[in-house]
Amino acid sequence: MQTEFFSHLRCRECGRPYPKEAIHVCEWDFGPLEAVYDYEAIRRQISRKRIESRAPTMWRYREFLPLDGEPSVGTQVGFTPLIRAERLAKALGVREAYVKNDTVNYPTLSFKDRVVAVSLSRAKEMGFTVVACASTGNLANSVAANAASVGLESYVLIPADLETSKVMGSLVYGTRVVAIRGPYDKVNRLCSEIAGKYQWAFVNVNLRPYYAEGSKTMGFEIAEQLGWRLPAHTVIPMASGSLLTKIAKSYQEMIDTDLVEKTPFAIHGAQATGCNPISDAFRKGTELVQPVPKPQTIAKSLAIGTPADGYYAIQTIAKSGGAAEDASDEEILDGIRLLAETTGIFAETAGGVTVACSRKLIDSGKIPKEGSVVLCVTGHGLKTAEVLAGVLGSPRLIDPSLREFDRLVSSDLAKAPIPEETNF
Amino acid sequence: MSLEKQRLWLTFSEQLCQRPIICELARSFDLTFNIRSAQVTQRTGIVAIELQGEREVLKQAIQWLENQGVTVEPVEISTIEG
Repeated sequence: MQTEFFSHLRCRECGRPYPKEAIHVCEWDFGPLEAVYDYEAIRRQISRKRIESRAPTMWRYREFLPLDGEPSVGTQVGFTPLIRAERLAKALGVREAYVKNDTVNYPTLSFKDRVVAVSLSRAKEMGFTVVACASTGNLANSVAANAASVGLESYVLIPADLETSKVMGSLVYGTRVVAIRGPYDKVNRLCSEIAGKYQWAFVNVNLRPYYAEGSKTMGFEIAEQLGWRLPAHTVIPMASGSLLTKIAKSYQEMIDTDLVEKTPFAIHGAQATGCNPISDAFRKGTELVQPVPKPQTIAKSLAIGTPADGYYAIQTIAKSGGAAEDASDEEILDGIRLLAETTGIFAETAGGVTVACSRKLIDSGKIPKEGSVVLCVTGHGLKTAEVLAGVLGSPRLIDPSLREFDRLVSSDLAKAPIPEETNF
Repeated sequence: MSLEKQRLWLTFSEQLCQRPIICELARSFDLTFNIRSAQVTQRTGIVAIELQGEREVLKQAIQWLENQGVTVEPVEISTIEG
């Protein structure tokens, strides 16, 4: 069925059209398939006023999402706060900084709820009754929770060495969690075979063209929340690189449909140094990404050594005039603390990567100090709280004595106040 | 025994780019191959390939490729996300 706006899928490499089915690669060249829309029809249908009249969820940009009918899963997802972060800006040495805060995304506190809402809504439209994913954290939690909310059966495949705390966040929803023993590449290949054999809606495999489009809503929201303008600079964490390419796509779609003025927007990518295939390739001036066989970083949610969209992420960064950076584990932890201490936002390790890389991009002049930047923070810190063990110190212990407490406070007051120029 | 197809991405390092590995593969194993796309630079080579053969032979062939230093990934590249 062809709907008013979402017309078909198309190979990103050769441009061949494909029907709107549960398929994800081109049969000719294995290029990824992407949703295609009728932007002229969207432009006629949509306006700022019309969007503003809708409920504050990601679905207010419904025309730009690949569904035939109305969404049926994750109807409350999105429209997370965009906060002006003055203290963070000062610490980073930039005139203006905003944080897009997906640590409070509903229901599982990460941006993955956006992509899962789209893919499960599409799965229901296509008549699937079982949904699945392979994940080490946020995606698993989101598939399990959103599937449970509408009574879809779900399977979550995980590497067997995953920490128990990460598994709990999926098991609690009653999903079927299957832990697979073996090295990452073998687990990965098995997941691919399972996705090929079982006729399930594998959200990040056979439903990937639909799933990936959900990331665009983060970009739409940023532009609307900035007062219907595009940010001059956006810093985005990169795992597969998909989020980065989709935020850039959302900005372009808003230009093409007259929702925002055409102004330059630089897209910057952030990775962890222990798994930096995209930023490394960008620095070397090549679009061909060299795999990182054994990622070693505390930013597990970004530890994809073979990023599926790496090639496209590099193209997007280069075309937009952006840059790519990466951050060490120590810099990531500093980034988490800086964000928390200046904005009150507790981000997972990927958020620390974004903050640390933003600092480097500002220091190197790739983001001008007199400029304005949006930092995309994609998941809640409680999900990776264990990385802070031993980093934050301990509470000061006193006996149940007011005198002892008075002494402690007096000693605090006697110390010089923390200067605003503190270098975090 | 029924034949299976596997769609794979092969990544070659700089050291392997000049070696005819796919030719060696076809001569060493009872399978057919079909190259769908390829990009080669001085530093790396990436080939999209479809292999067809008996399941056990495919598994051995993939293991052989990995032993030569080729990175072998399924068509989806990475199915496991954060």
